[in-house]
Amino acid sequence: MLLRMLRQSFFEGRRRKALAATTVALAATLITALFALSVDIGDKMAREMKSYGSNIRVTPKGDAMPLMIGGVDYNPLKGRDHLNERDLPKIKDIFWRNNIVGLAPRLSLPVRIEGGKDAGAEATLTGTYFSHVVPLPDDPDYRTGVRVINPLWRVDGVWPDDSPDGGATDTILVGHTLAARLGIATGDSLTLVPADNQAAARPVSVSGILFTGGPEDDSMIAPLKLAQELSALPGKVQSVDVSALTIPENELSTKARRDTEALSTEEYDIWYCTAYVSSIAHQIEEAVVNAAARPIWQVAAGEGAVIGRIQTLLLVVSLAAIAAAAMSVSALMNTTVMERAREIGLMKALGAAPWEIHLLFIGESLIVGLIGGVIGLAAGAGVAQLVGWSIFGAGVEIQPITIPVVLVVSVLTVLAGSVLPARSIAALLPVEVLHGRR
Amino acid sequence: MAAAKSTAPRRSAGRGRLGMFLHLILRSLTARNGRLGIALAAITVGAAVVSSLTNLYFDISIKMSEELRAFGANVIISPHKTEQKKAGSDRGVDAARLTEALHALPKDKLLGGSPFLYGLVRLDLANAVLVGVDFPGLRTISPYWQVQGSWVSANFDERNAMVGRRLAESMELTVGKTVTITNADRTIRHPVTVRGIIDTGDAEDDQIFVNLSLAEKILNLPGKADFMMASVVLQANEADIVTARLGAEFPDLDIRPIRKISQADGQILEKIQGLMALVAGVILVITTLCVNATLTAMVAERTPQIGLQKAIGASNRDIVVQFLSETAVIAVVATALGLGFGFLLAQALGQAVFSAWVTFRPIVIPLTLFLSLAAALAASILPVRGAIRIAPARVLRGE
Repeated sequence: MLLRMLRQSFFEGRRRKALAATTVALAATLITALFALSVDIGDKMAREMKSYGSNIRVTPKGDAMPLMIGGVDYNPLKGRDHLNERDLPKIKDIFWRNNIVGLAPRLSLPVRIEGGKDAGAEATLTGTYFSHVVPLPDDPDYRTGVRVINPLWRVDGVWPDDSPDGGATDTILVGHTLAARLGIATGDSLTLVPADNQAAARPVSVSGILFTGGPEDDSMIAPLKLAQELSALPGKVQSVDVSALTIPENELSTKARRDTEALSTEEYDIWYCTAYVSSIAHQIEEAVVNAAARPIWQVAAGEGAVIGRIQTLLLVVSLAAIAAAAMSVSALMNTTVMERAREIGLMKALGAAPWEIHLLFIGESLIVGLIGGVIGLAAGAGVAQLVGWSIFGAGVEIQPITIPVVLVVSVLTVLAGSVLPARSIAALLPVEVLHGRR
Repeated sequence: MAAAKSTAPRRSAGRGRLGMFLHLILRSLTARNGRLGIALAAITVGAAVVSSLTNLYFDISIKMSEELRAFGANVIISPHKTEQKKAGSDRGVDAARLTEALHALPKDKLLGGSPFLYGLVRLDLANAVLVGVDFPGLRTISPYWQVQGSWVSANFDERNAMVGRRLAESMELTVGKTVTITNADRTIRHPVTVRGIIDTGDAEDDQIFVNLSLAEKILNLPGKADFMMASVVLQANEADIVTARLGAEFPDLDIRPIRKISQADGQILEKIQGLMALVAGVILVITTLCVNATLTAMVAERTPQIGLQKAIGASNRDIVVQFLSETAVIAVVATALGLGFGFLLAQALGQAVFSAWVTFRPIVIPLTLFLSLAAALAASILPVRGAIRIAPARVLRGE
């Protein structure tokens, strides 16, 4: 009997049910899209935050204190410790290897520039990777360098090519303030004379002018190999900048940072297996012999603060929107039930028990909620992808948990909207209802 | 009730029609309490969400620029490079001049700033870079510094210092220990107590920080500073405009945004705004559609009434006008309520996310009103049009 009534109620009021299901679907679309976005936003923004540059710096452990004032180092380069270039792939082989976005080594030395307008000027030359192939065990063609970890660097001209085969090692970039000061333009030929190794002078050509907004604007950037040859330090680097995706710091990571020994075994495991900037730095130290990896707090801490805010923002907005959508669905269901007051009265007059009436409405709500929920899930996933692609240029991952959450919320809102008025109508006397007093 | 009234005097058809019209609207607004409540609630909630989101959207840029100051200073004020070279050994500029420029930045947007004066000194064990700063100002532009111990709180304090982590490690300094700063020509020896140890992961880890006044004495550069760093809340391309204007006011100084930070700020802000716009757009459309569906159901339910009105001689136009005015009245009242709730909701959201109040923007009123009215009228016009096409007899029979 119940099934027949359900079927009839659907065939008779097809338009009404369609309208209800559409509304539920719309609300479910909203919930799915916002839920998916809220879950994924942290990751997405963390990637965007990479435009502030790298967040971990790796230096040799016993490195002598640099005495840098205004870009001039009062400590000579000699006698300093160095890292081995061949150890770099190990950084990309730690537990959190997939969170390492990129890395770029640095080797700086003072040089004298011959050629150009202002011959004899002194400047700093930094060797690094531009887009260098660093063969990894699981990815022999892995490319990394400053072009990956500093997405905001801009070159007027072309980037030097530092690929292993046939990459020219005698092209450099000149920072724009230095270029303006010395009257250097793209295509110029210069001769670089290392300050403490006159014999190693090399002719180079300027392939472009570099705009970074940082101290690099007042220096020259060259392929690492060139800097190694000029400084007579083959296979060595001074420091490595690492860009890693991390999650905001919390109490545990602060405690770990003060003293790793103070953590209990359990806490240590949790800390080690979470992508805190401090645990990633710790793992790099473990992987590379004689290295000290330190978070660059300007980037790491700033990132945490901003991402936390954005996550709360989206979450709170989503909750408000979901509440509104749920109320809307309930209101609609309320109307459609009130409209059927006569039907309920008739059922009662014919001897239906209140629970039977409730069961009818619950059954209807379940069906409407589920149909609407499923359609909404599909549409919401589409909307989330749309937002993801248009803002971040990447799809949004839909977590499996979204499916039960959305379905339950859809059914609950429909139930809340239909069962309550049905109850109050069912509580009335049949005569009153049929007479139209209600 | 409608039938009884329609036999009213026909002498002045215009007045009678108007009276009837007003009567119908008044009755439908007063007699059907339950449904009226639902319609009101639906539009009110919709309007509240729309208006609060729009309010929040207009505020998001300024609020997030404040948040982005977690990255520290974004404006640098320094003497021109060429002038510095000409001056030769006579380093730095008047600290007072830098402070003057700092205070010329827009007051309500300036978070703080500090002068910097660098010099080479000898500590107990080895040489180190000494930095003279204004500690209270430095604290505002360095929110990301990880400090063990505490900050030096006053800018006249000449007994305390803060030391970078790597320097502290190599000199075996801990919080509370005393270290003697000796200047290059060994004429001044000044003991200071380590108040805090700084960890930034950057160059600061190798430096020792004291108040500017002390650094000037030790380095024998009275009243001088190398440059000034400031943290200013700036949106999008404001950085260039503000610094250019200030540069014109102080032609002797080089005032620039710190590109590395301000560019990244701009990019992040753009993303957040885009995200917020899209999310608000999606919410707006879906909420409007939900309100629409609710109203559609309510008007469709009144099909019998429409049939009755037609049967006793109401023209199609009369019915459409009546329903639309009715909806419009409900929509206006609900929007007014919704604007009120929306403002409260926006404040709640602002407090929850940014711990700050959200500014009310007048543009929100016409926007919300327009959207609510459009949604409500669109919702009623379709079912009413559908209903008036049907023959009265069929409607009344209950088809």
